Amino acid sequence: MTRALVVDDSKVMRDMIVACLRARPGLSFTHAGSGLEAIERLSLETFDVVVLDLNMPDIGGIEVVEFVRGQDRLKTLPIIIVTTRGDDGSRTQALAAGASRFMTKPFTPESILTEVSALLDAQGAA
Amino acid sequence: MTQALHVVFTVGNADYAVPASEVAQMESYEGATPVPGAASYVAGVIQVRGRVVPVVDLRARFGLPPQERTLDTRVVVAERAGRVVGLLVDRAREVVLLSEEQLKPPPPMVAAQSGGFVTATASLGARILMLVDVPKLIGEEQPHGQ
Amino acid sequence: MISRVDLGEFLQAFLGEADEHLTHANAQLLAIDAGLKRGEPVGRQVRELFRALHTIKGLSAMVGVDPIVAIAHRMETVLRAADRTGGRLPNGSVDVLLQGIRAIEQRVRALHAGTPPAAPPQALLDALDALENDAPPIARAQAESLELDPAIAAKLGSLERDAIASGVTQGKRAISARFTPSAALARAGISINSVREKLGAIADIVKVVPIAMTPTASAPAGLAFGLVALTSSTNAAIAAAVGIDAASITVIAEAAASAPVTSEMALLPPEDADDDAGVRRVDMVRVEVVKLDDALERLSALIVSRSRLSIEIARLGSLGTDTRNLLALAREQSRQLRDLRGSILRLRMVPLTEVLDRVPLIVRGLRRSTGKSLRLDIDVGHAELDKAVAERIFPAIIHLVRNAVDHGLESPAERVLAGKSEEGALRIECTAVGNAQLELRITDDGRGIDRVELARRAGAPIPETEATLLALLCRPGLSTRDQASDTSGRGMGMDIVRRVVVEDLGGQLAVRSEIGHGTTFSLRVPLTISIVDAFTFECGAQRFAVPLSTIDEIVELDVATIATGPVRTASSAGTVGVLARRGQAMAVLRLDEVLGLPAAASASGRPKGLVVRLDGDSVAFVVDRMLGQQEIVVRSLADPLVDVAGIAGATDLGDGRPTLIVDLMALSALHLAQHATAHLSIPKERLS
Repeated sequence: MTRALVVDDSKVMRDMIVACLRARPGLSFTHAGSGLEAIERLSLETFDVVVLDLNMPDIGGIEVVEFVRGQDRLKTLPIIIVTTRGDDGSRTQALAAGASRFMTKPFTPESILTEVSALLDAQGAA
Repeated sequence: MTQALHVVFTVGNADYAVPASEVAQMESYEGATPVPGAASYVAGVIQVRGRVVPVVDLRARFGLPPQERTLDTRVVVAERAGRVVGLLVDRAREVVLLSEEQLKPPPPMVAAQSGGFVTATASLGARILMLVDVPKLIGEEQPHGQ
Repeated sequence: MISRVDLGEFLQAFLGEADEHLTHANAQLLAIDAGLKRGEPVGRQVRELFRALHTIKGLSAMVGVDPIVAIAHRMETVLRAADRTGGRLPNGSVDVLLQGIRAIEQRVRALHAGTPPAAPPQALLDALDALENDAPPIARAQAESLELDPAIAAKLGSLERDAIASGVTQGKRAISARFTPSAALARAGISINSVREKLGAIADIVKVVPIAMTPTASAPAGLAFGLVALTSSTNAAIAAAVGIDAASITVIAEAAASAPVTSEMALLPPEDADDDAGVRRVDMVRVEVVKLDDALERLSALIVSRSRLSIEIARLGSLGTDTRNLLALAREQSRQLRDLRGSILRLRMVPLTEVLDRVPLIVRGLRRSTGKSLRLDIDVGHAELDKAVAERIFPAIIHLVRNAVDHGLESPAERVLAGKSEEGALRIECTAVGNAQLELRITDDGRGIDRVELARRAGAPIPETEATLLALLCRPGLSTRDQASDTSGRGMGMDIVRRVVVEDLGGQLAVRSEIGHGTTFSLRVPLTISIVDAFTFECGAQRFAVPLSTIDEIVELDVATIATGPVRTASSAGTVGVLARRGQAMAVLRLDEVLGLPAAASASGRPKGLVVRLDGDSVAFVVDRMLGQQEIVVRSLADPLVDVAGIAGATDLGDGRPTLIVDLMALSALHLAQHATAHLSIPKERLS
């Protein structure tokens, strides 16, 4: 089973992302509604890819990326940022912090499926 | 000398009284919607200020033959222990002040015959008023069915 | 084979979330408005508002609602700039931002109604663009000496430090609690979410910081969370409530015994309902009302089978079995069903504060359009009521509020002349009445109702009592102004208020008014109501209603074709006939017989049959005439005197008399059970 962690404080958004990625066979989904929950999950469980929003309360996506990359065993975990277009340099920040890919909303179902598949295939995941 | 207001009403040829504190309002009677399956002394339900209220036909409750309602027919809406129930009576026009001293225990035979409905009597001039127990009238002494 | 994913399918869910974000945005904007007027910093609220608009923008972009994206984007730009300056907004921002929220709300409403949202008004976009922000970024607050783990201290920004400082000034203790997650704790349901929820309920969480560490036996995940919060509770109380070790809580700052309030400390606006709402949000689940109604219907079915159980038990008892234990169990079950029903009905309750959260905005608008000065007090505590009641009562409340500002309150000049304070007072409060009703009062301290003038305009006698005054006010078409004013006075309002409160909801409306002193309108409404779609019909010269959802089909019957089978067990509840339907035999009962009603004099030859299905078997109930279909408000027949099986309540079809609502499924079940009982009373030797 390839496990994906979908992190966004909007349930609608998470459901939409899952709907887009369902086309990839063998992918199972875990939801996290906040950066804190995401960090907890990532520390306790194993995932193959993380889809992460930047704009969340308590702790933003950039901090999550920074924290995750600070953990040895998570250094190469594929992280794809999916965030509302902000024109605020967050793309540079995110990639500098170690995000693998950066996508802005709105994105089409095909584009996110392509990006996630590419990341997983590069890892040699099933 | 504690005095309390009482509402006086007539059923058949007798006058009754209940404490005004137990009466929420008095309404004229335009007929009730019968509720199939309810006890025979329940005339039905009426609407009072938007609220659905069951009406106990006191003539039936007191064992009297039914009678066509007249312009004098009234519903005495009683409120006790969270329940609001209407009492259908032949006439209800008076409110009197009764003092503790005026209330006397009813003759034992009268009380027995009434099945406990009558709890006291009071004399007002030449008339006798029978004080009735509202909870008993509206069926509180019966155990709640399953 | 990949099927095309259509994100438009998420529109409904999007609308639901959008509504929540808009409500939150409104609350934040109001808090910002109030804070700015008081000269207090609004950094937190600005950040919250920014986040809300940013989220709305992202979601709208995903489902493809460009007009909303356009508005949200510009609002977000303004707010991001303000956030960078620590919460400084250019003059006039609040009004423009408010218009922006309204514009988004309009378009969300359009989407709800299924119409395409209009393009955003250019004037609004221009106004948003024009809000330039040249305020300098706010300097970092003095690094307060806080007893804090440097890893956590580094993550505290100026907003958080301000919050801690102000909290301490108000007498709270600033603490840092450490929570170390583990797989075992997660299995026991203790996670950062649960810890946050529980802590948030008893403390004001300032920040939660993840702390990386080398994995050890006590920190198997190599992770701990530091939660910085302000609280008045003791460490022990917090530890107990949150489920962590008290030793993991350290105090990072607290007020000295006699700490004076220094003027340098920026005070945040006092914790108000908004903060609570933020915390409670984590505790909440969004449920569609349709699902609750579904649950209630299933419960009704359960109650029907419960009464069949009673009858079976009675049958057993008549055979000589000792049924005392069964009876006790059945009574217990009845009680549990009643409790369950109560619980489900309570799920539909919304806090009155939520219902009224738009009122401050509306009053704000009224202040400007009427030029009157007034203070709005909403004091409803934690009162809740059924969502269906809330929805119906909201327009009535708004109308009364508009009336109060428009007609009730005098202009500032008039008030001063009358010896009153310039600022008028409008108050909304509520009290519980018994355990089934709520009384809402809307009071103004304005000029009161001029009965003479009112009577003159209406061409009616001067009302003497409050009841007649109310009746006059509620006359349709009555207007107290020669021309309808902008905000009210069209004369249609009060009679609709009365119709909603008294007729639709079965509540009460009252008015108390004193010339020169003010007016109070009281609305008494039930806490919960059931509204169902129903068929209305005539039977035995009486009108009845039956919930749509219980009827399988309505068939036209030819009385001549209904056969009566052999009758060995007569039932007082009517004779069963047999009818052919779709090639199968179906039982037929006359409803007037079942209910013990006299047959209608003019029984038509082709009456209608209401078909219900019980356990897969259909039964048709013959009624005289179908009248129609409509939505009805169910009023309960809870009093023991009229709590009978087969009657599910009463409603008002508009004639002021109760119309009974029949439960045909229950009647079928009862009829069946009664026959079963009767059957057993036949002596054994007669059974062949």
